[in-house]
This record gives sequence, structure tokens and C-alpha cells, in this order.
Amino acid sequence: MSTIAPTARPIRPKRRLQLNASLVVGVALTIGFLVIAIVSFFWLPSNPNIPVIKDRLLPPGTAGHLLGTDVLGRDVIAQLMVGSRTSILVGAGGASIALILGTITGLAAAAYGKIADELISRGADIMLSIPGMVTALVLAATMGSGALTTILALSAFFTPSFTRVIRSAALSVLQEDFITAARLYGRGKLFILARHVLPNIAGVMIVQFTLYFAAGILTEAGLSYLGVGVTRPQISWGMMLNEAQQQVGISSPLAVWPGLAIVFVVLGLNLLGDGLRDVLDPKLKRRTA
Amino acid sequence: MTIYVLRKLAFFVGAVLVASLAIFLLIRGAGGNVAAIVLGKDATADAINALAHTYGLDRPLPVQYVDWIMNMLSGDLGQSFRTKESVADLVTDRLSVSVPLALSGLLLGLIIAIPVGTYAARNVGRPSGALLALLSQIGVAVPVFWAGILLSVLFGVRLGWLPTGGWTDWTADPVGAVRSLVLPVLSLGLIMAAVLIRYIRSAVLDVMNQDYVRTARAVGMTRTQALLQVGLRNALLPIVTIVGLQIAELIGGTVIIEMVFSLPGLSRMILANVAAREVIVVQSTVMLIIVFVIFVNFVVDLLYGILDPRIRNSA
Repeated sequence: MSTIAPTARPIRPKRRLQLNASLVVGVALTIGFLVIAIVSFFWLPSNPNIPVIKDRLLPPGTAGHLLGTDVLGRDVIAQLMVGSRTSILVGAGGASIALILGTITGLAAAAYGKIADELISRGADIMLSIPGMVTALVLAATMGSGALTTILALSAFFTPSFTRVIRSAALSVLQEDFITAARLYGRGKLFILARHVLPNIAGVMIVQFTLYFAAGILTEAGLSYLGVGVTRPQISWGMMLNEAQQQVGISSPLAVWPGLAIVFVVLGLNLLGDGLRDVLDPKLKRRTA
Repeated sequence: MTIYVLRKLAFFVGAVLVASLAIFLLIRGAGGNVAAIVLGKDATADAINALAHTYGLDRPLPVQYVDWIMNMLSGDLGQSFRTKESVADLVTDRLSVSVPLALSGLLLGLIIAIPVGTYAARNVGRPSGALLALLSQIGVAVPVFWAGILLSVLFGVRLGWLPTGGWTDWTADPVGAVRSLVLPVLSLGLIMAAVLIRYIRSAVLDVMNQDYVRTARAVGMTRTQALLQVGLRNALLPIVTIVGLQIAELIGGTVIIEMVFSLPGLSRMILANVAAREVIVVQSTVMLIIVFVIFVNFVVDLLYGILDPRIRNSA
């Protein structure tokens, strides 16, 4: 067996090199982002929510306030650090709930007959055609804005994509011979799904989670920019951009840093997702989901 | 083809019904006593009941839902509690901002993305192809509202060429209206392009590796000829689908961009009416937007069937 395996895999050195680059950069950016969020629980340059009027609107480079302060004298770095927590909480929270719901519905559609499949798939199609941003606006306004509402809205919009992807991945695994073998062996449906299907689609699930983690961060920033996302004392990068534009003006450096933070983090997660897809699932073509 | 169209039509109607139910429950379920909120704290119970009665808000929710749907079908979208303006008029006013913005944004996105995506696909493995892939990867990570802020800092504040926000009406000053739209359209279009380039690149890559392109090359066509004469029709399929799927994204982007540049479009109207608890206005306007998106997807499905006989016959 072990002597056959190496020759069975085609060697494409040029392509492998490219993949690794995106994986490496993605991992580096993502780890940096996570570390900053963790550090923010133990150490902050100053309290990001307490106004210090004598220090208001300090320019970047001021001693003690490397990126300056906002209109109320609150340190920008401290705000950015606390903002990274919100991005993780909302982005990963929304993607996690969508992953759980999408796995349940996706597996059910793949394994429990034509009627279940038709109902779940058409339901997912319908939900996919509803514009998320508009509905999130209404949801936030009727339920009240906040991190929890934003997470719920995100998971509602993300779930149908997870359902679709997991359904089709599960369908192709269910056609394999080892599934037939397990069935002949007398294994039940749930056992087969948990023991044989889930491990084989874990790669697809991880990639999907990473990409939607990034999408969640972008959407959360947008909602908070509109004023219907998280509210202080929680801090969001989108909220910081809104405050910069409303209170100081767009040409202030305050309108630069949170934007850069969003770009780096979302880019990192997207690169990580693409890189993981190529490594974990070589059969799958490189394609944006 | 008839069966295919009927199937898609049934899906369209089903999707609209499900969406309308969801919107109705979302807005009315969480809305509380609408009449009391609209009239404010000092209103007497009689006045609240009278208003509720006038607008039929005291009836059971299922009855109100059916009534709302029936009215919408007959073209009556309802009216504002306070100003008595009809929702249809309110929406029509705002469309003169939102529709040109969204359509030009999408168009600009396509105009950039189709040639750039094709070029990136033809140069896979070369530095220029890799650079374009990287640029679009970065573009996807840029929030559309930050792109708007950066562009208006550059062209509005630093260079002073264009307004950083605000709106002059088409009838009052057509040139001013266009000028107010340039930066919003540019922000929307660039971000759309970044997303579309990645899809178009992989669509073209797929087509380039097909047997029929190799055959076309074998009978003497150049790479470009083969791509244009044989490949294009096949690459159109995924591109049409992507555009359909991006419509919901486009509307989300338009909502935010209208806020960045303080344009009096649909999104500002929705936000203001949400705050004022004008439930009828909000629910009808949001429903209109959703019906539009579902309709576009319906048209895309039909186009798909027309472009590819395999799809309409297998359905």
C-alpha cells in the first residue's frame, strides 16, 4: 500500500508553491489578529471608553498614543484592540451558528430522502435571494441593535450557503464504496453520518467557516458603521469609522486605522481559507465560493 | 422549455410568499402596539384605538397579512401614518437616486471585471496574472464604505474635483446630480469588480481548458479567436449566474454607500421610517426590494435556460 501511494499523486511543484504563499500569509495575519485580541484582555494602553478631554485629537506619533486619540481623547490603539474582540465575537459567532445549522440541514438534505432534500434545498435558495443588509437593518431596528442581534442576523444569512456546500460535499461522500460497506455491515444512518461522512467533509466545513468568518467581520463593520450594529461600551471598527466621519471629518487619520485593520484581518482570513481549501481538498477546484 | 419556465415561475411565487411572511412577522412581531408608538406618550386610549381602527391594526395578524398581500397585488402599497403620503410615491422619489447608483455600480464592476478577469485567466502563472489575483484578493477585503471614504478624501478633499456628499435633484441640476453620483458609483463599482474578477477569472480558466477550445485551436484559430468565438458563450453561463447572486450584495453595498455620501436614497428612507415606527412604509418598501431581487434571480434562471439547452432539458 505505502509503496503505491506516492506515485498515485501527481506532482505539480509550481502550483504547490503558490498555495503555500497564500496559506503562510493568511496564517500570519490571522494569528496576529487573534493574539492582539487575546492581549487586549490583559493589557491595554489606556481605557478606550473613558474620555480624557485634555488629550483630545492628538496626532499619530504622540508619545503614549502612537496612533493618536479621537475627539474625546480616547486612545486609538486601545480602541482598535478592543474592536478586534468584537470582530471575533460577531464574525466567528455568526459563522459558528451558521456552521452548526448548516451541517444539520445539509446532512439531512443529503441523507434523508428526496422530499427532505427538496424542502431544505428550495428553502435555502429562497433565503439566499433575500438581501441580507436590508433585512439586517430592519431586524436591528425592531429588535434593538447590539452584538447579539448582529450575530443572529449574520447566522440567518449565512446558514443557507453552509447548507448548500455541506449538502453537496456530503452527497459525494455518500456515494463512496466505504459507505455502502458500512451500510452492509449494519450501521445506522446517524452512525454513518457521524463516523464516516463528517470526518470526510471536515475540510470543506473548515474552509467555509474561515471564509464566512471574514464575511461576518465585513458585514458587522458595515452594520456598525450604519449605527445599527454594536454600541459602546463595546467597540467596533465600523463604529470607529462612523465616529471619525461624523465627528472629525473623513480626511482625519482617524478614518484610516480602523479601515486598515478590517482589510488586514479580512484579507488574512480569506487567504487562509483559500490556502486551506487547496491543501485540505485538492480535488476541489480553486474557486471563490 | 415550457416546463422549465413553469418550474422557475413556481419557485418565484413561492419565494415571494415565504419572504413576505418572514418580513411581516419580523416587523410586526417585534413592533409592539404600533398605534401607541406612532401617537407618542400623551395619546389617549381612544385616540390610539381610533388610529388602530382606521388602519385596521386592531385586526388579527393573519387577516392583516392577507390584506397587505392583496393590496400589494392590486398596486396599493399603503400610506404613511403621519404624512399620509402613499408608499408608492415615497419610493418612486427615492428610486431616482438608488437605481442609477446601483445600476451604474454594477455596470462599472462588469466593465472592469470582464476584461481584467479574462486577462488574469490568460496569464495564470505569470507575474501579471498573480498581481491581478492579489489585487482582487485585497479589493474583496476592503469594506465598500471605507473605499467610499478614501475616494472622497482623494477626489473630494485633496483634489476638490467632486462633492464628498450631498445631492442635487435631477430636475434642478442634472450635471450636479451626476457629479454627486460619480464617487458613490466608483466606490461601489471598484468593490464589485474585485469580487467579480475572481469569478470571471475562474470561469474563463474553466472554459480555456475545455476540449472544444483545443479543437478550435487545432483547426487553426488563434487563442483569442478560440476564446471569443467558442469560449465566450460558455463562459457567459457562470458569469450570468454570478451577476444574479451578486444582486443581493449590490443592494447591500448601495444601502451603505448612500449613507457614506448622504444621498437621499431608499436606505435613508427605510432607516428614517424604521425610527418613526412607520411599519406599513417599512414593510412595503423592504418587500419591494426583496421582490425585485427574487425577480432578477428568476430572470437569470430563464437566461440560463436559454443559453444552455442541457439545463432547460434536465429540469
